[in-house]
This record gives sequence, structure tokens and C-alpha cells, in this order.
Amino acid sequence: MIIEINNLKKIYAGRTVVDIEKLSINPGETVGVVGNNGAGKTTLFRMLLDLIRPDSGEILSKGINVASDDQWKSYTASYLDEGFLIDYLTPEEYFVFVGSLHQLSVKDVTAYLSQYQDFFNGEILERGKYIRDFSKGNQNKIGISAALMQDPELLILDEPFANLDPTTQMRLITHLKSLKSGKLTTLISSHDLNHVTDVCDRIILFEKGKVIKDLYTNENTLKELEEYFSH
Amino acid sequence: MLSTFLNHQWLAFWRSRGKAGTIAAQLILGFVLLYIIGVSILVGLEMQEIIEKLLPGKSVMLVFNGMILYYFAIELIIRLQMQELPTLAVVPYLHLNIHKRKLVNFLNLRALFSAFNILPLFVFFPFCILHIGSNEGSLVCCMYLLTILSFTIFNNYAALYFKRISAQNIWVVLPGLAIIVAIGLLEYLKVFSIAAFSNIIFHEITVLPPVAIVFPILAGIMFFINARFLRNNLYIEELKSGEQKKSSTDYPFLDRFGTAGTLAAMEIKLILRNKRPRATVAKGLIFLIYGFMFYKPRFIASAQFHMMLFPAIFMSGSTILLYGQFMFGWQGAEFDGLLSNKVSIKTFFKAKFLLLTISATLLTILISFYGLMSWKILAVQFAAYFYNIGAGTVIVLYFATSNYKFVDLSKGTSFNWQGVGASTMIMALPLLIAPYVIYYPFSLISPYLGLAALGLIGIVGIFTRNFWTDFLVREFNKRKYKIAAGFRERS
Repeated sequence: MIIEINNLKKIYAGRTVVDIEKLSINPGETVGVVGNNGAGKTTLFRMLLDLIRPDSGEILSKGINVASDDQWKSYTASYLDEGFLIDYLTPEEYFVFVGSLHQLSVKDVTAYLSQYQDFFNGEILERGKYIRDFSKGNQNKIGISAALMQDPELLILDEPFANLDPTTQMRLITHLKSLKSGKLTTLISSHDLNHVTDVCDRIILFEKGKVIKDLYTNENTLKELEEYFSH
Repeated sequence: MLSTFLNHQWLAFWRSRGKAGTIAAQLILGFVLLYIIGVSILVGLEMQEIIEKLLPGKSVMLVFNGMILYYFAIELIIRLQMQELPTLAVVPYLHLNIHKRKLVNFLNLRALFSAFNILPLFVFFPFCILHIGSNEGSLVCCMYLLTILSFTIFNNYAALYFKRISAQNIWVVLPGLAIIVAIGLLEYLKVFSIAAFSNIIFHEITVLPPVAIVFPILAGIMFFINARFLRNNLYIEELKSGEQKKSSTDYPFLDRFGTAGTLAAMEIKLILRNKRPRATVAKGLIFLIYGFMFYKPRFIASAQFHMMLFPAIFMSGSTILLYGQFMFGWQGAEFDGLLSNKVSIKTFFKAKFLLLTISATLLTILISFYGLMSWKILAVQFAAYFYNIGAGTVIVLYFATSNYKFVDLSKGTSFNWQGVGASTMIMALPLLIAPYVIYYPFSLISPYLGLAALGLIGIVGIFTRNFWTDFLVREFNKRKYKIAAGFRERS
């Protein structure tokens, strides 16, 4: 059990945004979180990362409450939005900074980045630009690859496919699949049902903060989801 | 076309998102301006009486003549700080079928609508007309008016020009600052006097009025330099000053401090690469001339340190005060990322201490040159320095843990109240009052003892820093969700 959620609740202005009685995620799982806007996906992720305080309940990461101890930071990597990037740095500086937090030398970082040349498509490194001057899609790429570089046990990505060009989306899917063999646990939210069912082995469907469906993917999953979303 | 531009500006003002705040700011500004204009008119009309009263026995003309250039020298410095650049508003028009010349004309014309351009007219014109006109004849009077008007226009475009080139290349600020400091120093050491120079110029005008023609020509040259620079640089990238290649930078000196050093290095980059923090820190450098204004020989001779304490604390701690005021709002844009990265809050605070200590140390080294005036100044400044890094930093960081306002890094500093909250408003009070509370009781025995007490408090603060860091971490953790939530609201 890497993540365990008990009686988690978050209320904004009288409206319940997240309301999870019990949810646990096993090590090695790749979990897709789906749901319409306002279903509480991002709020849940923010609470997982201790960025928002739950109104009640708790989130345990490896058995320790994320709000009481920073332990989880050493094995968790995430990218939710541009707010995770330091926009006045060049991408290289940002990668080196994130690497240094995990005791990676400049050399390690360079070596790591070299395997992402296809993913970057020559648009990220050595462009002589600050992160703030990149397009949203390219900022996404920087954030996602910086998260992957940390070699985490728990990876949290909020809509990683949004703003990416089709080629990069395909490359990201292949890459995420290739990471599955290890002990990496991944949480991905997405609006693209094809992509999540393709990548994830478990899908959790949220509606107004509640878990409506929690299923292990098989050949019928996509159909089931499409049915839910079409009415 | 010009009227369309003006109309658009008008709409932009009324439809801006933070309208209420802007209007309130403009209203207050308007009242301040009215007051200043009122005072200027009074001063202008009563100039003769005022000079006679303040400096009895001196020739009124001599004082008046000496004052003019002095006024404009100081005005130029204030303009460099406060005058707004009307540039960015032009971007949406660049791709339309409008001649560049028209856009440049508009920018130049709009630049004239500035309070700075009205004040000298109120201050100097009445005296010229009433006094000089009747004594020296109307030709001399006209030349006086022409010269003062030319200085105004020269200053107007010179300030804009320097602001524009410094927006493209920050390093031109350094020689500019050096020149200001050098002139201040020469004036202080009585080697060169602006007033005497001013006297020579205006005496010459009285004797030989046509000489004054030089000044409108100078103003015209400045106008054309500015206009040409604008025309050649009217491109989106250049208005944003982003065309040169950005390269990665390192501060190896900070490596020895581990992760805290890395974080401090990042914040140095934050300051150097973003407009508002850069301008804030640059403002702190301007305040370094406070010493010339406050360190009076009579205070030094009689060891009246309470008169020198304020400038010493302000100069050595200007970054702590001005930059620390908005902490952690500077990092509001990436705060979620910082919190979820593998950085402990304790390291985060250690990095802040490191950054503030380095900045105060650099400033203190800079102002040590005032020590040439007297060793007593050094004593005051070092007491202030220890107080700043030992106690001031803790006060600032404590207030930072209840600041929830995001700061937009890309805007200028003048009259920019974005990011100002309750905590930023009251923070300066304890920081500047506390030293007096510490100093005063001991100074009753001896002013030197007062200084020693102040310095000692600071040194105690430095040695107990670990305790204070833990205290700040606890305070931060109490409110961290509120801070992070506040920074997510970006309006």
C-alpha cells in the first residue's frame, strides 16, 4: 500500500469538492483519474502533495500522513501545472536545480537529458530562453521530464497530455508504459479516455468529489467510460 | 490618430482588472500632486521673501541662480526612479497599418504629460517674471524662462532614454550610479559645486542673453536621441528586452552552503532576471546617498548617534527592508513547486537568511566609504549591520509568514501597490523602531554603550539563529496552506 486515503473531505464555500471514504493504491500500479471539470481531480492531487489542507480525513503515503511529515518528498515527483516551474530559469538551470535536490551532478543531469532528445524534439535544450518564454506545450514537457528525472517511486501528473502535440503524446504514452515494469506507482489525470485506458491498469472515475467507479482496465473499460461520459 | 491612441489609453485605464485599486492609487496620487503644486505655486510667488528669510545677507539673485541647476540635478535622479515609461501599451498596434513614426510621436507626446514637467514651471516662473523681468528687462526674463523650460524637457527625455537603455542592458546602471556618487562626493568635499556652476550659467545669460539659445538646442538633441532610439527599437522583443541569448549561470561561491546555497543562488537569479525585484534592489542602491544627507558633521562631532542610526539601518538593510517586505510573494508563481519539491522548510528559511545576510554584507561594505568622514560612522554602521542580520532578518521573515499576496514580477515598482498587504504595511515599523528602543536606554549612560547594545542584540541573534529558524518553520507551517492558496490567486 503506497497511498491510503481515509475519510478525505474538502469543502469550498459550502460545496464538497472531494469526498473519499476509503481509497488505497498499491505499489507498482498505474492509476488513471478521470472525471469532468469540477470532479475534484486537481484538488485531490494538491492534497496528495500537501499543498491544500483537507477539511477532514487523512492521506497516508507509505503509512505516514503527508501533512505531518515531509518524508514523502524524497520519493515523490510531480507536475501539476506551470506553477511548478521556476519561470525565470533556463530549462537547463531548472533541470540542474531539481537534480541537485536529489544529489544528481550536472553530469548526471546531462546524461539523463540525452535520453529525452526525441521527446524534446530539439525544442527545449540550448534554446537560450527562459522557461517563461516557452509555449505551454513545451513548458509541459519540461515539467514532466523534470519529474521523471527524479527517479521517483510515486509519480503524480495532472493532465500530462494537454497542450502536447500528437507526436509527443504518443512518445509520452510509450515512455510511461516502459516505466511500468519497475516499482513505480503513477497517478495520472486526463480527459483523454483513449490515452488513460491505454496507459493505466486501473481507472478511478470521479464525480463531484466522489469515487463513482474503480475498475481494472480490460477491453471493455473504454466503452464503459464512454458510456458514462456521453449521457 | 493621436486622439484614438489617447482614447484607447483612457479605456484601458477604466477597464483594467484591478480598477478599484488603480483608481484609489490615482486619487491619492492626485491629491498629493495637487498639494505639491499648491506648495510650488506658493514657493514660486514668495521666492524672494523665502530666500531673504532663510539665507539673510545673501544676494537673492545669487541664491536663485545657484538653485536652478541643483533642482534639475535632483529632479533627474527622482525622475529616473519614478517616471513611467509609456512603452508596452504600444505592442498591439505594431502589426497594424500605422506608421512607426506616428507611434513614436505618440510615445514622445505622452511622455510630456507628467507632473515632473509642470512643477519647475510653478516653482521658477513666478520669480523670473516678477523679479528678473522688472530688474533685468524682458529679454533676460524670456531667456530665463526658455532655459528653464529647456532643462525640463531635457530632463524629461534624458530620464526616459536612460530608463529605456537600462531596461535593455542593466549594466549601464553602474556607470550612471558611479557618476551620481562621484558628483555627490565632489559636492560634499567642496571640490565642485553645482550651485556655482549654475551661477556661472545664469550670470552669463544675464550679461549676454542670446547665449541661452544653447539650451533649447541641447533639449532638442536629447529629444532626437530618444526618438531615434525608440524608432530603431520599436519591436516586441526589444520592448520586452529579451533578444539576447540567455545562458545558464552559476554562483560557485554559494555551493558550499548545500541546498540552502542552491536556493539562495536561485533567488539571486530571480532578482536579476525580473523587472520588479531588480528595480526594488536598485532602489536600495539609490538610498545609499542617504549618508550624504544625514551624516552631518555636527552630529558626528557630538556623537548624536540617534540622528545617524536611521540612515545606517536603512542603508545597510535596504534589501532586507525593501525586498524582504514582499517575501515570499516574489516566489508566488512557483510556490506550489517549491513546496512539493524535495526541499525542507528549514532549508528554505536557511536560504533566506543566507541571501539577506549576503546582501546586507555587500551593502555594508559599500557604505563603509562613509567611514572616510569619521570612524564614528563606521561604529554606527556596524552596529546597524549586526542588528540587521541578527534581528532584522528574523522580523522580516516572521512577517513574511503572514503575507499571502502574490507579486507580479514583470511590472515596475513606482506606485505599484500590487502585492501590498497588511503585513507588508506594518512590517517596516518594528524593524525601524526596535533599534531605537534598544539604543535609547543605554544611550542615556553613553551613546557608545547604546551602539554596543544594538550590535550585541544582533550578534546574539546570529548565534541563536538555529532557534529562530525553528521558530519561523513552526510559524510557517501554521499558515502554509493559506500562503500557498493566496499565491494561487493571481489577480
